[in-house]
Amino acid sequence: MGIKGLTKLLADNAPKAMREQKFETYFGRKIAIDASMSIYQFLIVVGRSGTEMLTNEAGEVTSHLQGMFSRTIRLLEAGMKPVYVFDGKPPDLKKQELAKRFTQRGLMLLRIWKKPKRHAGDKEAIEKFSKRTVKVTKQHNDDCKRLLRLMGVPVIEAPSEAEAQCAALCKSGQVYAVASEDMDSLTFGAPRFLRHLMDPSSRKVPVMEFEIAKILEELNLTMDQFIDLCILSGCDYCDSIRGIGGMTALKLIRQHGSIENILENINKERFQIPDDWPYQEARRLFKEPLVCTDEEQLEIKWTAPDEEGLVTFLVNENGFNSDRVTKAIEKIKAAKNKSTQGRLESFFKPVPNTSAPIKRKGSKCVLRSPRPATGNKMLSLQACGSRPKETPENAARGNANKKSKAGGGRKRK
Amino acid sequence: MLELRLVQGSLLKKVLESVKDLVNDANFDCSATGFSLQAMDSSHVALVALLLRSEGFEHYRCDRNLSMGMNLNNMSKMLKCAGNDDIITIKADDGSDTVTFMFESPTQDKIADFEMKLMDIDSEHLGIPEAEYHAIVRMPSAEFARICKDLSSIGDTVVISVTKEGVKFSTRGDIGTANIVCRQNTTVDKPEEATIVEMNEPVSLTFALRYMNSFTKATPLSNTVTISLSSELPVVVEYKIAEMGYIRFYLAPKIEEDEDETKPQA
Repeated sequence: MGIKGLTKLLADNAPKAMREQKFETYFGRKIAIDASMSIYQFLIVVGRSGTEMLTNEAGEVTSHLQGMFSRTIRLLEAGMKPVYVFDGKPPDLKKQELAKRFTQRGLMLLRIWKKPKRHAGDKEAIEKFSKRTVKVTKQHNDDCKRLLRLMGVPVIEAPSEAEAQCAALCKSGQVYAVASEDMDSLTFGAPRFLRHLMDPSSRKVPVMEFEIAKILEELNLTMDQFIDLCILSGCDYCDSIRGIGGMTALKLIRQHGSIENILENINKERFQIPDDWPYQEARRLFKEPLVCTDEEQLEIKWTAPDEEGLVTFLVNENGFNSDRVTKAIEKIKAAKNKSTQGRLESFFKPVPNTSAPIKRKGSKCVLRSPRPATGNKMLSLQACGSRPKETPENAARGNANKKSKAGGGRKRK
Repeated sequence: MLELRLVQGSLLKKVLESVKDLVNDANFDCSATGFSLQAMDSSHVALVALLLRSEGFEHYRCDRNLSMGMNLNNMSKMLKCAGNDDIITIKADDGSDTVTFMFESPTQDKIADFEMKLMDIDSEHLGIPEAEYHAIVRMPSAEFARICKDLSSIGDTVVISVTKEGVKFSTRGDIGTANIVCRQNTTVDKPEEATIVEMNEPVSLTFALRYMNSFTKATPLSNTVTISLSSELPVVVEYKIAEMGYIRFYLAPKIEEDEDETKPQA
């Protein structure tokens, strides 16, 4: 899914473009959410153990409803204004990719079914396979749409890819940011992209915010080059060249500027370019995706929840606990009130701060990944300095740094 | 190199107590002008701006503009170890990972050194334009604290409206409503007990009491509080710190529903 290894590539090469943010920071913000991705997550995570799922009396799966209901309330309670965007018809290129995934799923299911005994003891494998066999169906989507509309949360049906539609909403300023787990959103040019926004609060993962402008600045690429980089790294639309991963792709793009130039200059013996490689088509899909830009038609409005409708749908039809649903509806109503609180940024604009930090910068370790050489050098100078004291978190960062450099860091006890 | 010596150490203790619940981590900025801090709460609804001018310190040395990221809870823990009459000195070396707080007892027979680890904080600095406010209310700070506390037992929000008659604080909750009117009153023995209302235009704004209550933690810093209101700006609640500067709290108002619903957000 998404762009292969892009998160790591960015963590290594554009660390300043990603920022950890607190969940509450998005208070009052309008956020476009890739619904299909979230539903998929819910089906995997919520109330599932092995191949058993949370179901209603009729035996239909309700994990997605439970997940969508509680997470959306969490967003509303934090004062956010979510807009859910659903996938439309996938582009032809993606269909091929989807077909491949589908066969993989089938094979895995077969494997489990065929030899249940062999897999019986291997709980982990079953867990892994059943995760991968989860599929979001039209029914799941329709259920969620109905639920969201009852909750008074706007739903948008994208003409094609949901991520592309989210990015378009963000570009036109109708929403503040895009939330998804799929790094594609960046390739579609979403100015501000959030990961882990929909993660359960129990996991305590901070939201990771990416800004495309900063990514381009840090990588020193144009948007077109960034799209080419993503295609080379491996996207949903076409195969990538064997032997070229994110790092090589970045190097090649920096050297040659575009896929065309790379193809001309690359060693064809070493790298096998797929015979029928539709990279131009993929590029077109990223640059000019099929999206709806008509503001009238989109109609992003947050309304009061339909209490009766919610009770009928969740309690009567899907066997939710009636007390819990009533309480949740109260929460939605209370949250509605909260969203009227203004944000300071709508009055005061950010300005650059003139004072330099006394403590060295650039040692912040995002995703615990290795740091670029300069950062390490600075740290090792620091470490040999007069006051070798560190906070626990710095110590953790320091350790991560130490691993990545060949000696140089002084070990302390 | 940075060395700031503050004879009235209790002041710094009080400052910390007033901001540490609103903001977890913040950058203290040091320049020739003074020791300052600007930070927002995590939901970016309230902002605190602190200034302690260099003239207020007995000794003030700051070679270049510096910022120090501190965890305010930890800083408060350390400052709590200082006696109320102690002289506090803040020291930091260039490129250092730590800041040192030195506490000297007034009789100089006890000297304590507390070294605190600094942290990297990514924070946005907001530009706050000088503005003409529609209404400015000055009143005893304890009175304002009392009003906020009382109202928050009834409701979650306070409507502050200023008219020619005075300033009205009102709230509404499940159990009922409350209105408190403070009239202009300058005929008092002590000037700090006066309530002064300056008004160019009547103004009425709604705010979350939770934040207002948190601002009143600064009450020990000053006998009076100044509340400046304009219909299209956040409210400013200012506590002057005698001979040193101020601590100002900005709070974004609650906005009427539907108004921003259709407007695209930048």
